[in-house]
Amino acid sequence: MTSPDLIHELKATRPAAPTALRARVREIAAEKATPRASFWPQLRLPVRRIALVAVPAAAAVAIASAGVLGLARSDGEVAVLRDRAGTNESFEKSVPQAATPETLQGNLSQDSAIAPDLGRAQRVSATLTVEVADSDGVSQAAQKALTLTESLGGHVVSANVSTGDEGSAALTVRIPVAKVQDAIVQLSALGRIVSQQVTIDDLQATLDTLEQRERSVRAQIALVTTRLETESLDASTRARLESRLQTLRAELRQLQRDTAATSAEARMATIQLSVVTPGVLGAVPVPSRLDRTLDEALNVLLWEGVVALAIVIVAAPFALLLLAMWLGRRFYRRREEDRLLAT
Amino acid sequence: MHAVTLDASRPTDTATQSFSAVAEDLLDDVYGYLLYLTKNWALAEDLTSETFETALRRWKRFDPRRGTHRSWLLAIARSTALDRFRADARRKRREERAEAGAARDAEEHVFGEGFSPELEEGLRALTAGEREVVALRIVLDLSSEEAAGLLGITPTAVSTRLHRALGKLEERMRHHDVA
Repeated sequence: MTSPDLIHELKATRPAAPTALRARVREIAAEKATPRASFWPQLRLPVRRIALVAVPAAAAVAIASAGVLGLARSDGEVAVLRDRAGTNESFEKSVPQAATPETLQGNLSQDSAIAPDLGRAQRVSATLTVEVADSDGVSQAAQKALTLTESLGGHVVSANVSTGDEGSAALTVRIPVAKVQDAIVQLSALGRIVSQQVTIDDLQATLDTLEQRERSVRAQIALVTTRLETESLDASTRARLESRLQTLRAELRQLQRDTAATSAEARMATIQLSVVTPGVLGAVPVPSRLDRTLDEALNVLLWEGVVALAIVIVAAPFALLLLAMWLGRRFYRRREEDRLLAT
Repeated sequence: MHAVTLDASRPTDTATQSFSAVAEDLLDDVYGYLLYLTKNWALAEDLTSETFETALRRWKRFDPRRGTHRSWLLAIARSTALDRFRADARRKRREERAEAGAARDAEEHVFGEGFSPELEEGLRALTAGEREVVALRIVLDLSSEEAAGLLGITPTAVSTRLHRALGKLEERMRHHDVA
């Protein structure tokens, strides 16, 4: 028999269900479907269908909760942000014209608790940044600072004023130490104080050492001079003493210069003044409610992601174990089926 | 005993058919498949009944996007038959352990009416796996892809198995003709 004949015969002898079986199946079909008693017969859904619903639902819940938490937390953030950035309202009230010296004096006394001790030699330096409203304010403030410096008996070391959309000025002035407090107060009144730093280094010990050494050198010079004038010395001794005298006089001159410089340093304080506009300072405005909410929501989402990742990391070994068990069971069943169908 | 065929033409395989209509339409296919698989008409009838009982319970879970009614019913039939084979294998092992299994081996396997003696003998010489692929591809005229999906193997493996089964069957029947 050839293959076509065989196939023809197989098709021709296609089995038909016997009458009794057909009647039995009709009876079965006529019965009302009675699902097997199961605790949750209706909950058996395909995994893909569950995932299709569960994944977007979980994402929606995560985003919604992040939004709600972000909205709730953005309220509490306002005070902190205002403290951090300074409010626009406070700037508007503290433009140069509005700031009173009395007010700034109060602020200064709080901020700069240290003051130079006029009884000692001290190096006083101050760094001051004030903010004015605009470029014109920068020019005016710089001019006032120069005038003030001269009126207090000081002088300008350097001045750099730039105008334009975002004007700024950088001045370095020297003011007599006795008047440095007045200078700081009045310079601070040029605008809203952004930062202020006063540094005092004690120079008295250095000055005392210099003066003590100077006295010693002077005494040695007097002694050597007396020996040269009163004693009959041999030539070599005279030459040695004269050389020594020259060295001591040179040292004395150096000591006098150092003492004068230190005294000058202690007499005049150095003040570095920066006058800026808000644009130059890069003032950070308080973000809007929407920005804060988005920021907080993103933070919450980030944390949700971290938690989800942690869960995945913890669950991964168990999932792999279950997968291996499922694959093993499937392999075993396939082998068993092959064995059963091989007979 | 056999040979009752419905005259009604086969309706379109849609999800809207009632279970009764589907059962009526596909009964022969399920029975034929199970007869080839078990080579025993009595067992095939039992398994056919079981298959339709199971199908009725699962009727609401049938998803037309995942296959036809025929594929779905044949998959249930196959699963039912394999469960029976497993149970039989366990029973045989128990009996062998009890040294009482020899008599059961003489269990009669009869295809029933309609099969020529040489075809029946040839089919009996095939394994169950070979007979089921013959049933699916030749008798029920399933495509390679449908049969592969049902058997859990590749279409190529289906073709190979079918080719081997037909060769074996042909050889057996030629031998019978010569004898």
